[in-house]
Amino acid sequence: MGQDQKDQLGRRQFFRALGGGTVAAAAGMASPISVTEAQAYDPGTDETRSRYRLTDEVKAFYRTNGYETLQNSTNAGKK
Amino acid sequence: MARMKFLCDADRCIECNACVTACKNEHEVPWGINRRRVVTLNDGKPGERSVSMACMHCTDAPCAAVCPVNCFYTTADAVVLHSKDICIGCGYCFYACPFGAPQYPRVGNFGSRGKMDKCTYCSGGPEPDLSVAEYEKYGSNRLAEGKLPLCAEMCSTKALLAGDGEMIAEIYKQRVIKRGYGSGAWGWKTAYRETVAI
Repeated sequence: MGQDQKDQLGRRQFFRALGGGTVAAAAGMASPISVTEAQAYDPGTDETRSRYRLTDEVKAFYRTNGYETLQNSTNAGKK
Repeated sequence: MARMKFLCDADRCIECNACVTACKNEHEVPWGINRRRVVTLNDGKPGERSVSMACMHCTDAPCAAVCPVNCFYTTADAVVLHSKDICIGCGYCFYACPFGAPQYPRVGNFGSRGKMDKCTYCSGGPEPDLSVAEYEKYGSNRLAEGKLPLCAEMCSTKALLAGDGEMIAEIYKQRVIKRGYGSGAWGWKTAYRETVAI
C-alpha cells in the first residue's frame, strides 16, 4: 500500500468520523417536540369560503345551455 | 355545497378557440401562457373531435400532492387555487398534472420558469376579493361577482359547461339522452341495446 493510499484512507476515516459525530450531535439536539409536519397552505377561512351564488346571470347560463332539453325540467334554474 | 366543475361537450365543440381568447383577454394572461386550450383529435379525419381543456380542479389534485412548498389550496367551491407568493416555480405540478394545466411564464434568466400560472375558475387567488393585487397575479374574480367562468359563458355552441357539478351534469345528461347515440350516451340499455338485463 503506497503512501498516497494511506493518506486517502485517513481522509475517508476522518470524514466518516466527522459525519458520524454530526449525526450524533443532531440526534442529541433534536427532540420529538421540535419535529413539525409539512402543512398545506391555508389562506384562511375568508379566502376559502364559497363564492358561488345562484344569481340571475348564473340562472341565465343554465337556462340557455339547457334550453333544448330542460324546458320542462323544474330544476333548470328558470327565473 | 355546490362543487364547481367544467364539462366540455365534444359533440358541440367546433374548435373556434373563443374560450381560449376570452380567458386570455379577461385575465390579461401574458404571452406564452394559455390557461385554456382546445385539443383536437383525429384532425381533418372522419370522427374529428375537439375538447376545450384547462385545469379540471381535481378533487384529490396531483399538483397539490407533489408541490414541495404546499402552495395549493381548495376552496369551499372545490376550486383548486394556489399562492404565487409561495410558489417557487419548480415545475413538479406540471409533470404531475394529467391535463397540462400548470403554465410558466419563463421570465427569468438561466431557464428559470417563474411563478406557475393556471386556470383559477375565474375565482382569483388568496388576495382579497376584487383587489388590484389579486387581479395582477391571478386575473379577475368573476365568481365573487356572481358570475361563472368567461370561457363557458363565451362558448357560442354551448359546448363548454361550467357551474354547479350537479346542474351541468343534468344538462349534459339531458343532451345525451336526447341524442341517444355515442359512447357517452346514458344508461346500460344505450350501450348494450334492449337485450341487457339490468
